[in-house]
Amino acid sequence: MKIAILSGKGGTGKTTVATNLLSVSDSGVLIDTDVEEPNSHLFLKPQIQKTEAIKKRYPIVDESLCDLCGACGDFCRFNAILPAKKSVLVFKELCHDCGGCQMVCPNDAIRYKERSIGMVYSGHTITGHEMHYGELTVGEISGVPIIERLREITMDDDLVLIDCPPGTACSTVAAIDSADFAILVAEPTPFGVSDMKMVVELLRDLGIAMGVVVNKDGLGDKDIYQYCESEDIQILGRIPFKKEYARKYAGGNLISQVDDEYKSIIEGILKQVMSQKEVV
Amino acid sequence: MLAVCAKQPGLDSTVEERFGRAEYFVLFDEEKNMPQSIENKAKFESGGAGGTAVRLLNENGVDVVLVPELGPKAMDAIKAFEITAYRYTEQKSVREIIEDYKNGKLSKIDTSTTASKHGMYKA
Repeated sequence: MKIAILSGKGGTGKTTVATNLLSVSDSGVLIDTDVEEPNSHLFLKPQIQKTEAIKKRYPIVDESLCDLCGACGDFCRFNAILPAKKSVLVFKELCHDCGGCQMVCPNDAIRYKERSIGMVYSGHTITGHEMHYGELTVGEISGVPIIERLREITMDDDLVLIDCPPGTACSTVAAIDSADFAILVAEPTPFGVSDMKMVVELLRDLGIAMGVVVNKDGLGDKDIYQYCESEDIQILGRIPFKKEYARKYAGGNLISQVDDEYKSIIEGILKQVMSQKEVV
Repeated sequence: MLAVCAKQPGLDSTVEERFGRAEYFVLFDEEKNMPQSIENKAKFESGGAGGTAVRLLNENGVDVVLVPELGPKAMDAIKAFEITAYRYTEQKSVREIIEDYKNGKLSKIDTSTTASKHGMYKA
């Protein structure tokens, strides 16, 4: 079962929920696909056993074959290739590696070269679980190739927890592509509910079953419960807003390892999710 | 053909503070003394607006452009399209900036004036 942990808004507790779910699971594997800002490893403290550079291609133009017709520049949606007066400029960091410029070039003047855009780190956590996290190099435009690699590595694992990027952009879509179930972590605040609605829409478009974990319960208002009821979305659990949890989290702990009450809430959520397996 | 980055169409518009995402370019043919304004479609691009704006200028026969700033990618493109760039630093009307250019008050630039908007990219 592939379980995506995601949220519309950043800072709602995706990583906290994902890492704690991993720690109470028997044999789960976690991938951190928030490659622009991965931080699950700060809590899981893995011993890194393997690192892998993730490559992306960019075009190289053979000027002896190019007649500056402009077809590549007209095609590129990302302005990565710009035919000029005597040469073709390539802005490699804008390139999405779609392969289109080579396809439209009538003179077969385009080849590709590889360059590294980030890393994937693999290892075992302090709880003895396997984890993999990606890190996108600062300034790169898209972490999707790294996210796809993380999913590929864990394709055959039985229980995979996917710590997703916030929001509903390309990287989130890439992260949840093969998910069987989604845990939507949301805060009971106006911002939390508003951003959560976008994710609900995305998950429905993709046909992924979901449940909500209300984190920092007790903050804000009751709108989130009314919304979930009216939309018929299951509440998988409520994690109260407590200074004690914040303190333990800020100390770099997996809260469920140092707090029994928190641990039982997390176990309850995992149990609820696993019972979906038959439904999925 | 001369081009100036402008907030609105016409010679009386105030000059823009940006190049790639300027609202308009006011084109000025020095021989015909006729201004013509074009909307800068590159301003809508999510990335690479500078290079695309240079391509638009080239399509309109521009060989001199007056700019407030140029990023590294736009500067590479300016050179590749053999356009000459002069920099203005004051917020005046397009008309006044053209006068400054004609009177030799603007300096020619051949290196980018701003850091990249794309993180680690080095010009």
